[in-house]
Amino acid sequence: MGLKNLFLVIITFILNAQTIDAREVNIYSHRQPFLINPFLEKFTEKTGINTNIIYSAQGLAQRLNSEGKNSPADVILTVDIASLIVYHNMDLFLPISSEKLKQNIPSHLRSLDNTWFGLSKRSRIIVTSKERIQSRSITNIEDLSDQKWRGKICTRPGSHDYNRALLASIIAEHGEEKAEKWASGLVANLARRPQGNDRAQVKAIFEGQCDIAIINNYYFGLLKYSDIPEERDWANSLNLVFPNQGETERGAHINISGGGVAKHAKNKSEAIALLEFLTNKESQDLYGKINFEYPVNPKVAPTIELQSWGNFKSDKISISTIARLSGVAQRIIDRVGW
Amino acid sequence: MLKLLRRINYWKCFVYLISLTLLCPFISLFLISFGDTDGLWAHLFATVLIKYVANTLALMLGVAFLSGAFGILTAWIVSKYHFMFSKYIDFMLLLPAACPAYLVAYSYTDFFEYAGPVQGFIRSLMGWSSASDYYFPEIRSLGGAIFVLSSVLYPYIYLLARTAFRQIPESYIEVSSLYKRSEFWTIGFPLARPAIAAGVALVSMEVVSDFGTVEYFSLQTLTLGIFNVWIGMNSITAAAQLATCSFVFIIILLVLEMKSRSGRRFNDTSKNQRSGRTKKLVGAKAIFCVILCLLPFCFGFLIPISILISNLVGPFKWLNLIESLVTLRNTLMLSLIGASLIMLIATLIGSVSQVSADRKLQNLASFSSTGYAFPGTILALGVMIFFGFIDNILVFTESFGWNLYLSGTLSALLFAYLIRFLAVGYGSVLSGLSKTSPNLVWASRTLGLSFSSTITKISIPLIKRSIIAGGVLVFVDIMKELPMTLLLRPFNFDTLATSTYQFAHDELMTEASLPALLIVLSGLIPIVFLNKLLKQPEF
Repeated sequence: MGLKNLFLVIITFILNAQTIDAREVNIYSHRQPFLINPFLEKFTEKTGINTNIIYSAQGLAQRLNSEGKNSPADVILTVDIASLIVYHNMDLFLPISSEKLKQNIPSHLRSLDNTWFGLSKRSRIIVTSKERIQSRSITNIEDLSDQKWRGKICTRPGSHDYNRALLASIIAEHGEEKAEKWASGLVANLARRPQGNDRAQVKAIFEGQCDIAIINNYYFGLLKYSDIPEERDWANSLNLVFPNQGETERGAHINISGGGVAKHAKNKSEAIALLEFLTNKESQDLYGKINFEYPVNPKVAPTIELQSWGNFKSDKISISTIARLSGVAQRIIDRVGW
Repeated sequence: MLKLLRRINYWKCFVYLISLTLLCPFISLFLISFGDTDGLWAHLFATVLIKYVANTLALMLGVAFLSGAFGILTAWIVSKYHFMFSKYIDFMLLLPAACPAYLVAYSYTDFFEYAGPVQGFIRSLMGWSSASDYYFPEIRSLGGAIFVLSSVLYPYIYLLARTAFRQIPESYIEVSSLYKRSEFWTIGFPLARPAIAAGVALVSMEVVSDFGTVEYFSLQTLTLGIFNVWIGMNSITAAAQLATCSFVFIIILLVLEMKSRSGRRFNDTSKNQRSGRTKKLVGAKAIFCVILCLLPFCFGFLIPISILISNLVGPFKWLNLIESLVTLRNTLMLSLIGASLIMLIATLIGSVSQVSADRKLQNLASFSSTGYAFPGTILALGVMIFFGFIDNILVFTESFGWNLYLSGTLSALLFAYLIRFLAVGYGSVLSGLSKTSPNLVWASRTLGLSFSSTITKISIPLIKRSIIAGGVLVFVDIMKELPMTLLLRPFNFDTLATSTYQFAHDELMTEASLPALLIVLSGLIPIVFLNKLLKQPEF
């Protein structure tokens, strides 16, 4: 290969980023490809629309913003409400009108201006050691600040999105002052410095470092059906507690994964088709089967496995309130050192 | 004369232009850091800021000290003595450079934590049954992070110090032994100081910008703080302010180091010196040296790699391998182009600023290669904003029927690499140049060779080896790079690092191990090459 050819190859390698095919949809995703790919394969199979994806946990909103109207992005997928609101506040979503989406998603799980839509639900739950904690001795999330659990609790760092959202839900219920008291009580009860992800907390219970942890419900399913035998043992050592289920209680805190259409989407109808596809019966089932998440679509029942963990009442607080209180929650987290 | 002047201006202008362009993303970050933060700083001061700064300082000093000890000690041993296996040890010591720090952190956590094999073994040996029965240092801690980062970063210091030690003229050593003074403290260390300082500076910058390891260990450093402010409080303004602060902090350190070196010269002007011979060691002394040199190799390579291999349990999945090979091709191509580009620019900036002896240009160049100290993601934000701005200018191309834009293409990613890793390449070029005497340049200019001929015929050939050495380091660095690649890459484009991350992020170590091992394996080849190259005589 001559020098000139080599040069051409390199230039095409560098600038070949966007080739425009006939029918395609470009996705900026905060959810890992290995979790979203099964959906996209089905989508392409059904509709003939190809999908392109970029995954990053952080910074995609800033990328979309600085790309402006040149952006190739059509659809944004996130794993929590806080990042949906970030896109919303930066005015990066396109309002869309889709009867299907309105039918498939209850109104408290989508925005009033039709920009973002919840696609699956997950609950933040308490898990306790079967051996060392009597069942029913913890019923509410508020119980975790009780002195009697001193040195028994494990969590991931407070500044993780999931814990921040949980704290925001407590602020919404009890006000900032009480929420801070709860958080500092929780921190006083920790068995070790907050570290690792939710999976690591379950492992710590199994190994006896602590007896109680807060996790997202799907981690339990992923561990229970893990390929690795030890991980199945971790899951089997746990009792699940859906908190705040009493008659007068608000229900367990939930968060959503969601999405919306990018403001400068070039493939708008394909983008809407993808969102509609993700809320149809088949996909909503798939969320449960692949990642043990709950459907947002009220016409779809949770998978049999999820039902076997128990039916529960979820906190009906508007999901955007959680996002709004996120900054207040982070300040409390800094103050109490969670 | 007039013609000559025009020439000089052309070269210098070009280098000025590049250096200034490289500063643009910093300027973008600086610009967004103006804005209202709603009393966030008062809150940060009152709560976490002191902790962030203290942890960052402690981590930086700890790693500088430990990796310095690893790197300088082993470099001195292998360049001054030969003993059994010393030929292999010499190069084994470089291998940890192929391991990304975050991967080593993942595997050590599995290995050393309560549930891991080490503590499990101790428990079964001693008959203990719970965590409260005994004390074991926690791996997810400041000490753990210092250990992990030092184990993989010391090769930077080792490599530069070894080259410097080997170039010490025999006559100096003879003088020191005549006066019965310590060879190391009176000759070796002072002469190698620019090289060691360059190595320690690289390591410190890498530490300040590290996100993967500190996030995994939940160690509250400034970089982690930047993310808490950015994502948690949704304030990109405050995050940019915090990033600028940590940037200023690093600049101060670099300036202090340069000041303490100014007024000294480390190049050798005497002609044709024999460089030092190695002494042969046998018996207990040799065994001691072998063990000492093997320790950092085991910490930074052997143990973590063995853990990764043992994670590849279960039936081997061919499909995964094929997928990984496509990713491997992307990774190699990107690293190769990136490393070539960076070395081209580093050599240009280095040699032009040396030949022209322009202090202002030298300072500007050092300044624009400080991107290494920025957390990758934050730097990527700066690049995105800058490219968005350029694209807005490029909009005019639409009237010609083109739709030309750079955001979202690999050019954005390559530019980001250039900013981040220029320090590595430029440092290598500079340390090569500091070894060549400016007399050569002056002689060539006096004898009537033009500015550009002096650069192409004198400066560059003299430092060819430093250029290639720097290029190899940059190549391996790009291969391991994660946060910028993740954020700036085009659609459906994975490198080994990003494909490792999507699994490792969820602590799915089994799935992450295959691409992780491929990163390490394909990093080994250039390192072997580098070692061969550095052994050949320079001219």
